[in-house]
Amino acid sequence: MAGVSVDSGGKGGRRTTDSEINMIPMIDLLMVTISFLLITAVWTHMSRINADAQVPGPPRPDVEETKTEPEKQLHVEMRQPDHFTLVWKQSGTIITTIDVPRKDNIEKLQGNIKKVQFTELADKIESEWKTVGQHRDGSDKKFDQAILHTDNDTPYMFIIGVIDAIYRPKRDYTVGGKTEKMPAFNVTFAVN
Amino acid sequence: MHAVPLKFVQKRVQGGGHRGTNASLSLTSMIDFLVVTVVFLLMTFDASGEKPANKGVTLPPAENIQDMIDAPMVAVTGSLILVDGTPAGNTRAIEDSKRLQRVDELFNLLKGKRELWKQLHPGKEFPGVVVLQIDQEVQAIVVKSVFQTAAFAGYPNVSFMVNALPKTH
Repeated sequence: MAGVSVDSGGKGGRRTTDSEINMIPMIDLLMVTISFLLITAVWTHMSRINADAQVPGPPRPDVEETKTEPEKQLHVEMRQPDHFTLVWKQSGTIITTIDVPRKDNIEKLQGNIKKVQFTELADKIESEWKTVGQHRDGSDKKFDQAILHTDNDTPYMFIIGVIDAIYRPKRDYTVGGKTEKMPAFNVTFAVN
Repeated sequence: MHAVPLKFVQKRVQGGGHRGTNASLSLTSMIDFLVVTVVFLLMTFDASGEKPANKGVTLPPAENIQDMIDAPMVAVTGSLILVDGTPAGNTRAIEDSKRLQRVDELFNLLKGKRELWKQLHPGKEFPGVVVLQIDQEVQAIVVKSVFQTAAFAGYPNVSFMVNALPKTH
C-alpha cells in the first residue's frame, strides 16, 4: 500500500488500528492547501452603502390611499466649504436649522485611498435623530428620510463621507422575530 | 550523511571543515504549524466570492456599511461607464454640460437587464437593486446622473460600493 503501511499482525490475529502515514505526500498536501487558500484569499473587503432613489411605484387603484401627516425630513446641505447645514423640514416648512463646522481632513490610506470622515457632523446627526427622529421603534417598518444637497463639482469621496456620517445613528429593526441594527436614515439626493 | 556515497560530495555537504548547511527540523512542530495555518486559512476563507473593483477605480472608504449583495454592477471609471464589464456610455457629456442628465446607453442596458430578470423569474417582485462602483475623484454631477438613470431604469434601490473601514463607534 503506497504511502500508508498497515500493520496486519495485531495481537490475537486482529488488525491493529494504527497506521503509518507517509510524511512526504502529507506535507505536500498541506503545502498545496496552504498555497490554494493564500492565492484565493480576499484581503480587501468590499462593502456597500445604501441609498434610496425615492421613485414612486406604479399607481395602485386597488389600494385606497390614506391621508397621513407629512413626515419630517432632514436636509443635509454640503455646499459651503466651512460648514454643513442641517435643516429639518415638514412639507416644505422649515422647522429647525443647525450649522455644523466642516473640516475636510483627507487622510491617505494604502493604495491611494482617501479617507474623509466628518465626525462632528455624525455626532450632530445622531443627537438630532435622537430628539427629532420619528421612526425609532424596532417594529416600525419606515425609516427617517435624509436628503443630501451637494454642489455638482464635489468629489465623490466627500459625498460618501457625508452619507457615512448620516448612517451613524442606528436603530433596531425587527423582521420575522429577528432584531438587527440598521441605519436610522434612508438617504437620497436632492435633484437641484 | 552516511547515505551520500561520494566522498567529495559528502565533504562538500558537511561543509569541508566549515559549518554544515543542513539543519534538522522537527517534523512534529512543522506539521503542527502547517495544520494551524491550514485551519486559520480555512476559517477565514469565503466561498461566496468577492466582486472585485474594476481596474482604475479607487473606491472611497466608509465605516457604517452593509454586506455586499448580488446585483448588477455599474462602474464609473474615468469617463467610461460599464455595466457588469460591458460599456454603457460615457460621462463626458455630463461633465461638459454640468447638468443632471440621463445616460441613454446605461438606461437601455439596465432596462434590458430588468426585463430579462422578469422573464426569468415570472411572478416574482423585481428587487430593483444596483451597485454603483465609482472612483473617489468623480464629480457629484456624474454620481447624481448615474444614480438618477438607474432609478428611472427601474432600480430605485441603489448601493454605493466602498472599502470597509473598521468601526470606531
